[in-house]
Amino acid sequence: MKQMQPDDAAVIAKARDGDHEAFRVLVDRHGRNIYRLAYRMTGKPEDAEDVVQDTFVRAFQRLDRFEARSNFATWLYRIGFNCAIDYMRSRQRRETPEPPATLEILAPTASGPSMDDLVYAGEIDRRVRAALQDLSEQERAAFLLRHYHGCSIEEICEALDLKTNAAKHSIFRAVRKMRTALGPLVGAPLERVES
Amino acid sequence: MNGHPTDETLILHFYRELPAAEAHAVATHLESCGACRAAWEELVATLTLVDAAHVPEPGPGFERVVWARVSESLPAPAWSWRSVVPIGALAAAALVVAVVTGSMRGAGPGPQPVSSDVTGVDANIRTQKRVLFTALDDHFHQTEVLLVELMNASAGDIDLGFEREAADELVASSRLYRATARDTGDDQFAQVLEDLEHMLIEVARSPLSIVPADFESLRQRIGDEDWLFKVRAAATEVRTRQQSLNVISEGPL
Repeated sequence: MKQMQPDDAAVIAKARDGDHEAFRVLVDRHGRNIYRLAYRMTGKPEDAEDVVQDTFVRAFQRLDRFEARSNFATWLYRIGFNCAIDYMRSRQRRETPEPPATLEILAPTASGPSMDDLVYAGEIDRRVRAALQDLSEQERAAFLLRHYHGCSIEEICEALDLKTNAAKHSIFRAVRKMRTALGPLVGAPLERVES
Repeated sequence: MNGHPTDETLILHFYRELPAAEAHAVATHLESCGACRAAWEELVATLTLVDAAHVPEPGPGFERVVWARVSESLPAPAWSWRSVVPIGALAAAALVVAVVTGSMRGAGPGPQPVSSDVTGVDANIRTQKRVLFTALDDHFHQTEVLLVELMNASAGDIDLGFEREAADELVASSRLYRATARDTGDDQFAQVLEDLEHMLIEVARSPLSIVPADFESLRQRIGDEDWLFKVRAAATEVRTRQQSLNVISEGPL
């Protein structure tokens, strides 16, 4: 995970005093990571950009609540996650719901998809996106932070305000759903001896 | 290790979340148990595929766009670089506004004493214009210096810290001059200032360390839109108008 850079603390201190230029440095440093998280949460680039904006505006408003001993990136992920959730709920109210992510494509079929018919990378994208949408908000956030952003379980607990077991089980459930979704592409047997 | 590792244990092993001793035991078990090794390889393959899912990377101007959107929503700064950096242009602009508006207030309401010269230009207006033109002359000169610096910067010299501050300061003073120019009826200069502000804002909002492609695009725009020529032409026009005022001021013998 991207750790707090050595001079993040000094920049944060200036930004807390209302220094916009200092805050801009934080936007420059962390904006792309928040974008990636937001994109995987929302699934749309334009929505992700809105979430990034909301995240930094909210972060600025709450800078005085940031504890210097914490990791700024983790703290920002927490805000980004909440902004993404708020955004998606608001989007659901605004828009006619789209057809749900097609779960039928997730289930392995008897014959399996013909690789000749697939653009392989596109198929992976579709399946991962659909599987992510099929996760609960908590599962999705925990999995994204662990898998893509390299956060430890401990950091995920801090970012999402979860107990250790809850964070772990969110990740376990997410991984199981990913295995179901991507199993046909992996081509490996799913059956194994459970102990 | 007793028995086979569970799915959960394998997932924690994949993410390096197991204590060292347990991780070692799992690794040892995987070497000797075909079924578990197959499950492990399937898990690794699946999560490797997850890595392959594409996220569109934002363009090179992403940070600049985000900042432009974020900064619009932030409260006014409690202080900014302007409060700690000695500045010339903004203070000069404020002085110009004070002189011009003071001169206007001094005129007071109601009928004014007739003091027009043969050209019909009131003495008060002449004073206001003279102050404004002097300030504009300096403003256009500073803008020209900034543009020349940007156009001549080498490819490796793209820390825009100084240029951003200078552009920010010029935008602030330009807004004051523009309002003053409208008040004095010099709409032509007001329009030039307004157009120029868009370009200066772009410089002011550039990232501190701009990527070469963005920097080249900025310079391209300055060049394509002939900003150096426009600024020099505006400065020439200001001087011409200054001279014209002086002639009027000295008046016919």
